[in-house]
This record gives sequence, C-alpha cells and structure tokens, in this order.
Amino acid sequence: MKYEIPVGPIHPALKEPIMIKCTIEGERIVDVDVFCSQNHRGIEWIGMNRNNPVQSIYTAEKICGICNFCHPSCLVMAVEEIVGFEVPERAQYIRVIQGELERIHSHLLWAGVAAHELGFDSLLHYVWMVREKVMDILELVNGQRVPKDVLMYGGVRRDIKEEHIPKIREMLKYYAEGFDKIAKLFLQDKTIKMRTREIGILTKEDAMKLATAGPTTRASGVKKDVRQDMPYYAYPDFEVKAITPDMLTGETLGDTYDRIVVRLLEVKQSMEIIEQALDEMPGGEILAEPKVMKVINQIKKSEGEAIARHEAPRGEAIHYVKLKEGFEYLYAWKVRAPTYINILSWRPMLMDMQIADIPIVAASIDPCMSCTNRVTIVEDNRERVLTAEHLHRLSVQKTRRLMK
Amino acid sequence: MLPMLGQLLKQMFTKPFTNLFPAKYAPKNVGKYLQDVQAGKATLISPVPVADPETFRGKIVYDREKCTGCKMCIKVCPSKAIEFKEEEKKIRIYIGRCIFCSQCNDACPVDALHMSEEFLLADTNKVADYLVVE
Amino acid sequence: MTGDLLIMTVFGSIGIAIFGLFFGLVYKGIDRKIVAHMQKRVGPPIRQPFLDVIKLMNKETVLPENAVGWMYSMAPLVCLASSIILLLYIPMGGLDQVFENGALLGGHGDIILVLYLLIIPSLAMVAGGFASGSPFATVGAQREMVTMMSYEFPLAVVIIAIVWKLSTAGGDVFSLSLIAGNPIWNSVGLLGLIGAFILLLALVIVTPGEVAKIPFDVAEAETEIAHGLLAEYSGRNLALFYLADGVKTFAMASLVIVLFFPYNISPVLEQYVALGDFTILVDFLFFLLKVFLVLLFSVTLVRAGMARLRITQVVSVYWITVTLIALFGLVLLMWDNQFDVGWF
Repeated sequence: MKYEIPVGPIHPALKEPIMIKCTIEGERIVDVDVFCSQNHRGIEWIGMNRNNPVQSIYTAEKICGICNFCHPSCLVMAVEEIVGFEVPERAQYIRVIQGELERIHSHLLWAGVAAHELGFDSLLHYVWMVREKVMDILELVNGQRVPKDVLMYGGVRRDIKEEHIPKIREMLKYYAEGFDKIAKLFLQDKTIKMRTREIGILTKEDAMKLATAGPTTRASGVKKDVRQDMPYYAYPDFEVKAITPDMLTGETLGDTYDRIVVRLLEVKQSMEIIEQALDEMPGGEILAEPKVMKVINQIKKSEGEAIARHEAPRGEAIHYVKLKEGFEYLYAWKVRAPTYINILSWRPMLMDMQIADIPIVAASIDPCMSCTNRVTIVEDNRERVLTAEHLHRLSVQKTRRLMK
Repeated sequence: MLPMLGQLLKQMFTKPFTNLFPAKYAPKNVGKYLQDVQAGKATLISPVPVADPETFRGKIVYDREKCTGCKMCIKVCPSKAIEFKEEEKKIRIYIGRCIFCSQCNDACPVDALHMSEEFLLADTNKVADYLVVE
Repeated sequence: MTGDLLIMTVFGSIGIAIFGLFFGLVYKGIDRKIVAHMQKRVGPPIRQPFLDVIKLMNKETVLPENAVGWMYSMAPLVCLASSIILLLYIPMGGLDQVFENGALLGGHGDIILVLYLLIIPSLAMVAGGFASGSPFATVGAQREMVTMMSYEFPLAVVIIAIVWKLSTAGGDVFSLSLIAGNPIWNSVGLLGLIGAFILLLALVIVTPGEVAKIPFDVAEAETEIAHGLLAEYSGRNLALFYLADGVKTFAMASLVIVLFFPYNISPVLEQYVALGDFTILVDFLFFLLKVFLVLLFSVTLVRAGMARLRITQVVSVYWITVTLIALFGLVLLMWDNQFDVGWF
C-alpha cells in the first residue's frame, strides 16, 4: 500500500519552511517531490527599489544568518568589478580570514545538527560546545557573535587588531588539538556509521548532472571549489585544493558519511588557511575609500554588469548585479544561493531509502531555506505552480527587460 | 566502537559548560527578576564578559550636542531605524529596528554616534523608553 | 477472607498507583538531570516532570477530526492502567516484608503474566497511534509493533534461561517471589557465572527497547516522524502517556532487579547495627538505589551515548545479535549444570 507523508513545511527535522513529499511503501521511499518557496522575503526587491547599494550590503547579510559573509561578499565583489575599486591587499587577507572563520563555525554547526537528526543529542551538545570558541573569536574581531557587518565596497570596515592575533592563534591551537577527538567521535562511532554509511548516495554522474555545489559535490568525488578553480580575494596565495573524502578514508562513495568526512576535513583546511593568512598578512590600508557618501556617489555614476562567485560553506554562491548610471539602487540583483542548486539532489539521494533516513539525508546537504526561497506566486489568493516552459518564458522576458 | 560513552562518563563529573545567565533556572519573569536584582532581593549570575569593549556592538549611544543634523546616518541605515526630527534638526533612533551594523557610526562626520556594551535589549514593547534613543 | 483481599487489593492498588506515578516521575527527572550533566548542561530541576504533567493537565485536549474517537481516548487510559498493574505483581525490596508474596498480588500471578502485561502498554500505544488518523502516527504504530515483536524473543530467552536454572531446585518456578528468593548468582559455577553475565547484558540491551528510549525509540523518533505515535496527542491524554512511560520504566527496572539483583541490604547491616523497625525502610531505600543504577546503565547512559537506529537495524540487532547473545548465555548455563568446571 502506498501513501504519502509530508515532511514539512513545519517539521522537527527541518527547522525551516520547505516541504518534501515522500510516497512510501511501508518504510521504503518510492517517490520524492520537493516544494520550495514556502516563505518569500523579497530581499532582491528591496535591493532594487528601496535600499542604496551600501544599505544593500547589510540586507544581503540578512539573506542567511549562518553564512552571513558569503552573500555580501558576492555583492561587494560584483559591484567592485563594475565600479573598479582597488581593494588594498590587507583587506583581501582580512576577507579571507573572515570567510574561513565563517566556514569553521558553519561546518561545526552543521555537524551538531546532523548529530541531532540522528537522535544523538550528546554529540550535538559536544560539538556546539567546541564551536563556542570560534564564536568567541568572531565576537572579539567583529563585535558580535553572528553578524559580521565587516564588508564595504573597496575593503573592509574593521581591521584585525594586533592584540587579537594571539587569541586567534590560541583558537587555532584549540581546534588543532580537539580535531582528532571530534573526528573520532563522529567517524568511529558504530551507530553513526550504521546510520550514514551507504545512505543517501549521490553518484559522481548525478552530482555532475545536477550541478551540485560545495561539500555535497565534493563528497561525490567532483573536485570543484571556487577557491581552487577561480581564486578571488587573496586565495591565489593559498593554493586551496578541493577536498574529497578519499583523502581520509581512501574511497569515495558519495554517501552521507562521506559528506561528514568532507566537512570535517574542510574545518582543518580552513584552520590552515587562517594560520597562513595571519603569518603573511601585509600591513597598510584596509579601505580604498573611507568616506561612505563618496562610495555611494561613485556607484551611482557607474554602469555595467558583473557576476561574482564565492565559495560559501554550503557551496558556491553567485550574485549577478547590474548598475545603471544615475540609478540610485542596484538596477538588477540576482542571488543564487548554494542550497538552491543542492536541493535537487534530494531526489536521487532519498530514492529507495527509508523514512528514518529523510532527516539526515536532507540535512546532509546543509540546506538553508532562508537563502533559497526566491519566488512565490500568489494570484487571487491562490498559489499556482509554474511549469518549466512558463518559467523559461518569464526568464527570457526578464533578460530582455534588463538588456534594454 | 562507541567513543561517546567514555566521553560522557568523563563529562558527568565536570562542571556544566553553560553560562547560567541570569540565574540557574530560568525565572518566570525575567523583567521582574532583574528588578528584584536591583532591589537586592535576588543575585544575578553575570553574563560572559564582553570580549573587546572597543569592537563590541551594543546599544547605540547618541551625543545630542555634537549632532549637526546632516542626515548622513539616515542615508546609510539599512533598517531605516533612524528618524529625523525636522523642528530640532536632531535624530531619533529606534533600537527595536536597529541591526547593530554600526554603519551610522562610520558615516557620522562629527563622531556623535557610538556603540556601547549594553546588550540586554529584548522587550515586548519595541518603543519602550530605553529602546528609543534621542 | 475474600472480603479482606478485596479491600486490601483496592486500597493497596491505589497506594501502589500513587507510589508508582511518584517514583516514575522522580526517576524521569533524575534521568534528565544526569543526561544534562553528561552533556555538560545544567538541565531542568528534578521536579520538572511533575511540572510538565501539571502543565499538560491544564492544556486543551484535542481530538483530531479523522481520529477514531473512543479508541483514541481509551488508549492512554489503558496504557497507564496496565503499567500500574505491572507494579502489583513485581516484588520490590522492602515491600516484600509488607506483602505476603513479595508484591500486593504476588501470589496471584507469575512471570509469564508480567511478560504479557509488559506488552499491553505498547499495544495501547499502537491502538492509539492507528486511531489518530495521522500518517506520522500510523508509521509510528507500525514501527512500535515491529519493535515489540523484535525485543520479545530475546527477553523470553533470558527469562526462560533463569527459570530453567531454578527448575532444578523445584517448586513453582515461574513465581516471581521464588525467583527473587533464589538469586541466580548463588547457584552457578564459573561457566554459569559467565552465562548469567551474558544474560544480564542481553536484558540490559532489551530494556531501552522495552521502554522506548534511544537507540530503540524508532516509534517515537522526534526528528523523523515528529514523535510518531504521540504526534496527535495533546493535553490530558499526552500527560497520561507521559505518566505511563515513567511507571513502565520503573516497573521494567524493578523486573531487572528481581531477575538479577534481588538482594536486600538489611541482612548485611544487621550484623553491625540492630535495624528493628527500620528494616523495611532501609531495604526500600536500597531498592530505590538499585533501580537508579539499573536505569543509569541501561537507559540513561545508553540513550545519551548512541544515535537512533533505523527500524530494520532494530530488528536485526534484537533478532540476531541480542538473541544470539542470550542463547549463548542459556547454553553456558546448561553447560554449567553438565560439566562442573568449578572455581579452579
């Protein structure tokens, strides 16, 4: 007997509004359908109609609470490319450090959530306790635990002070010592292995076909990382290599276990990058143009379009920005969050699995709905579903409108 | 095979990691509890100290005398938390809307705005006296 | 005579019910507090389960639109009642000096009855789950049935092994008071000792399944099926299930104690001090300590230190691993009788 169980829009496994409709036969999943856009916030609209570009940096930070560096980073990179700000080298290094701090805290947060989805709350509490260290450093450097508010067109707003550096090094030492323990708790636990090995497999072919991004794709053995393929900021100096699970376990299965491995290794990689960045950070200015009003005016006078890519903790974030001379706001702003592209991989992962695997497989791509929800169509108080052809037609129309 | 069991037995006899702010068990009414603390009827377990007072971004402090009414802060405020008072040529900041980005601090040409260390700013009334800075 | 028994049964049952509810909740509170400390948290105060029950009692009890009304409302009552009835048959330290056969109805039922009574709360939950008319509750009910079928077999093996060992002594071997009177450790050689340890291990693994705790709480898996069986329950009905869970946990721990640790501390203490009227109290406190230790190792530590298993893994763990362990223990006990290895 087949019947449907809805996971979401409100469900204890997924703390954010999204719906996975699973058709099940007993415990086995035979069909999966995903319904996005349960919640629309209109952030792009605000950037194009209400807020000037400087204000939009902070609006972009609010796209996602956890990865609140990647979105403004993309926006800033795109605008800098159009306007032609020369970013001082020290600022580039600070941006790299901030980005990697964000990756550490995001991956540790994810590790805790994954443990919770498996019903392993002790591990959740342990990992989040360890995570407090990087949160303390973020507060020390940025003034608040979560929002960084550090980016500005042409540089960064806050320097990393000399007296903060020993504390950051202390944190790196703390994690270097604690890393083996976390890896042991996660990777050698029999029950975790039982629940994640060969569960939610995404083959390399499927990962390529669905164009997945970030750790999700790397866990399937695709060596794809923006920091490696198209280095931005000061990343060319660090020679980042995409992490695949075979570096630790010697094989790539593309299952949930591999995604845990990849994220743990990336935490280690981020620590190495921060260490090197602190050693090699040059002195000098941190902002090309300290006067905010001048920045706003300069952007207002510019015209052009650009695409910026940033390797966020969840994958590759892409922003498209278009500026028009004399136009006060961003003329066009399109955000593509990493989760948006990764969500599609739920279907191949969940097929033929059990109900019990839905939470951990869904969490294994580290979904972030708040970044993703982009379109909701409500007409006459009725929602309707857009077909692929209809959506394509609308996209073509919009592109034409922008080209004018 | 189950590495967590040993870890748990070890942790069982250590002190909890939690910072017990404001009291060991959450009081029924935090506002009343804080009043009791001020009246000396209860003791407060202090929060984690602010890491660096210089960089910390808490409630905005507004120096009314210095302000020239240039409206620069209003232009850069992402959350439209600042209101201009036409007749006095001064500003009013609604902390209930503020996102603590400190952009107005950077933009202010006369250095009239600063971030303080105060962070206990949760209230059911978002225009309560202490949440409106003039 | 019959009249006396009736009065004693009625008032005794009420007393045992209050006693069971109280200690069920106390142990729930202790369990939560210890788990919190293991996770380096402070955790709720020990009286928190009482507050939870009071809160739930005050809340609205919702009857879902497509639920089977009478079954939905009866299930929590049956569940709680059968959990309390369990306590009437299981001998408890200290109380065995108050009642004739170890427990209030000690002389009227044996361990087979207790085995069946242990199933009824789960059955009531299954009925309630199916009657809720929610897909999550249905999945939960199916899982609960499968779990029930899987842990019954190793549990039966453990009990049969112990009873078989006793049968050499003769008498009504299924009687709980006889089992409690003749601890298994007293009558075994070296092989039997190892066998008994293995049986204890099997019973410790069965306990979290019996009381639906991680890693075997598949029927209520919070992150998977939103508390499954209990998804639709609210208010008073949920409070009854909550109480039943506490009572059943307490009863299950008492059963483990009867089977493996039925010792009293008073004979040891008597050698040093005269206890007099305090014997009952001392034995009872010792019993509570034993319950605490059993719950600490078979529920609290296990639920904090493991991830939840999938339903198929629960079945394979119980049917293959634990059953094999229990059968091995049984075989060792039999060998113990056949070849007397002795104590070297």
